[in-house]
Amino acid sequence: MRFFLTSVIKIIPVLFIISFIVFFLVRLTGDPVSLMLPETATDQQREDLRNSMGLNDPVYIQYLNYMADVVRGNFGDSYKYNEPALEIVLERLPASFTLAISSMVVATLIAVPAGIYSAIKRNTFIDVVITGSSVLGKAMPNFWLGIMLILLFAVHISIFPVSGSGTIMHLVLPSITLGTAIAAEMTRLIRSSMLEVLGAEYIRTARSKGLLETVVVNKHALRNALIPVVTIMALQTATLIGGTLITETVFSWPGMGQLLVQAVNARDMAIVQAATFIIAILVILSNLMADLTYRYLDPRIKYDD
Amino acid sequence: MSEPLLEIEDLRVRFRSDEGVVSPVNGVSFQVHEGETVAVVGESGSGKSMTSLSILGLVPAPGEVYDGSIRLQGEDLTKMKRSQMRKLRGNEISMIFQEPMTSLNPVFTIGNQMIEVIRLHQKLDKTESIQQAVTMLDLVGIPEPERVLKQFPHQLSGGMRQRVMIAMALSCNPKLLIADEPTTALDVTIQAQILNLMKELKDELNTGVILITHDLGVVAEVADRVVVMYGGEVVEEATVDEIFNHPVHPYTKGLLASVPKMTGPVEELGAIKGSVPTPSEMPTGCKFHPRCPIATDLCKQVHPQLEETTPQHFKRCFHTEGGVKHDEHERSTIS
Ligand SMILES: Nc1ncnc2c1ncn2[C@@H]1O[C@H](COP(=O)(O)OP(=O)(O)OP(=O)(O)O)[C@@H](O)[C@H]1O
Ligand SMILES: [Mg+2]
Repeated sequence: MRFFLTSVIKIIPVLFIISFIVFFLVRLTGDPVSLMLPETATDQQREDLRNSMGLNDPVYIQYLNYMADVVRGNFGDSYKYNEPALEIVLERLPASFTLAISSMVVATLIAVPAGIYSAIKRNTFIDVVITGSSVLGKAMPNFWLGIMLILLFAVHISIFPVSGSGTIMHLVLPSITLGTAIAAEMTRLIRSSMLEVLGAEYIRTARSKGLLETVVVNKHALRNALIPVVTIMALQTATLIGGTLITETVFSWPGMGQLLVQAVNARDMAIVQAATFIIAILVILSNLMADLTYRYLDPRIKYDD
Repeated sequence: MSEPLLEIEDLRVRFRSDEGVVSPVNGVSFQVHEGETVAVVGESGSGKSMTSLSILGLVPAPGEVYDGSIRLQGEDLTKMKRSQMRKLRGNEISMIFQEPMTSLNPVFTIGNQMIEVIRLHQKLDKTESIQQAVTMLDLVGIPEPERVLKQFPHQLSGGMRQRVMIAMALSCNPKLLIADEPTTALDVTIQAQILNLMKELKDELNTGVILITHDLGVVAEVADRVVVMYGGEVVEEATVDEIFNHPVHPYTKGLLASVPKMTGPVEELGAIKGSVPTPSEMPTGCKFHPRCPIATDLCKQVHPQLEETTPQHFKRCFHTEGGVKHDEHERSTIS
């Protein structure tokens, strides 16, 4: 519990820095007023809007106002939806979450057995095939795989819907698209981690006890091999989110990623700010989760505090 | 003498790789009787661990036992199916390894790791196997066994971990216990405790023990018989008294001379020059000849056989107590 509290305290400065960056990024992308008003607007109208938005105040005042808003969870209204940006972003969160979780499930289902198998069969044909596929999987762009899957399984053989959401069938192709990309990296990690662990002395001890090889591998080796994998995968959450942007867009999946891409295109800065902020928090949370999992997997950590 | 518990005959292990074949074990033979402690000694790389791993069928890939036999109460282990072999491991034959720090799995509790092997080989339910684990930990002198069962390896000291390893190894009442340098990683007082413990337990359970070590002090303390290995071969074998009082092989003599004396400063292994050749660069003739102070031409050319000099005392050396003279005679016969 103390660990949890200290982690939360550690998050605060990070959030502070993020809000700072978001503030300047938005102001660097140009004058929002010229985007918000039609070209026919008069100078007077522009000036009025600027004044009402506080854009004529000194930067530090703007920043303080902005921070006061951010602390209250107010990122301004989306000019496209005319609703508070944060609410719109949060509405999209469950869909993204569903996609992320199911992609992780797909990735784990592929990577754990593949990684273990190629480790115990190292330097055999099957290992070469698995390692080769994971290199391929990493090299394959997400959008390309997504489009290929749509062509194959939605257009040619219509098993799955082309895009959209609503049923579990809608989730299949996007999860595979994103899942395989994650699986590629994960397989490689599990393989190398397993190879290291399989040479450990406690593995020899486990074998000397007469345990079945499956128990030796799936209990004694895997549990140890997963420790570094969990950490590294958690550090890749940002990549996962990057993947959701593309995957959601390709499949019109109504998640935060799709929203963010649309908002950027429409210069809907309130939404961009809110989404960036939420994504940053998600990355931090996932790192925290990784830390907790790490502690659960590796009993040596708990007592070292 | 009664039928031996374990009979190793002409055991050969090889590793095949792109660079060629190396054989760290080359025709090793010796026996272990019930309740007997056989010490296997020799410098690093002499093939002690490979020999013991062969007994359990655990020679690491790509290594393999390619010749010879290992009979446990008459049954050849080298011909056994894997599933049969697994029933023996941890049950009839147990092994304790050198590194107590790394031989236990860091992510599972002591209890988990002990109960695992007890339940595997004995028809006990969960509470009974916990009870059995507690009994074993108690037997090896671990205080508060119930608490230790819930602990992780890193929470115990090296000595305690090695006790746990011993408790685990003995938990199914094995007929044969192989201890591969069980005390090397421990400090001296703990070493003595562990050795005493092993001695007591062996007498109590009548287990046959193979004790691998390169510490002759340890041998003197606990062994009944000694097998001296060099370059993957047995070079001398005798009772512990014979080895210490009448060593015949120059290598054994060298090992004995390098035992640190309690009175003087600790000597290095200075008595034997050089080091064990790797299996890939084994010399012809007697494998020890490049380092032997009394090597002759015969030793360089002909590989000596293991022969019985006096009853129960075997050596692999052309020299006799009479020394070089006899050899010069032999040399003249071959040249
Ligand atoms: N994977 C391998 N490939 C090739 N040779 C190997 C391999 N593993 C071990 N060996 C060889 O086996 C030889 C004997 O090793 P072994 O572990 O049996 O020696 P040891 O007598 O137990 O030494 P130590 O006292 O250091 O434990 C070593 O010299 C090594 O060259
Ligand atoms: Mg060894």
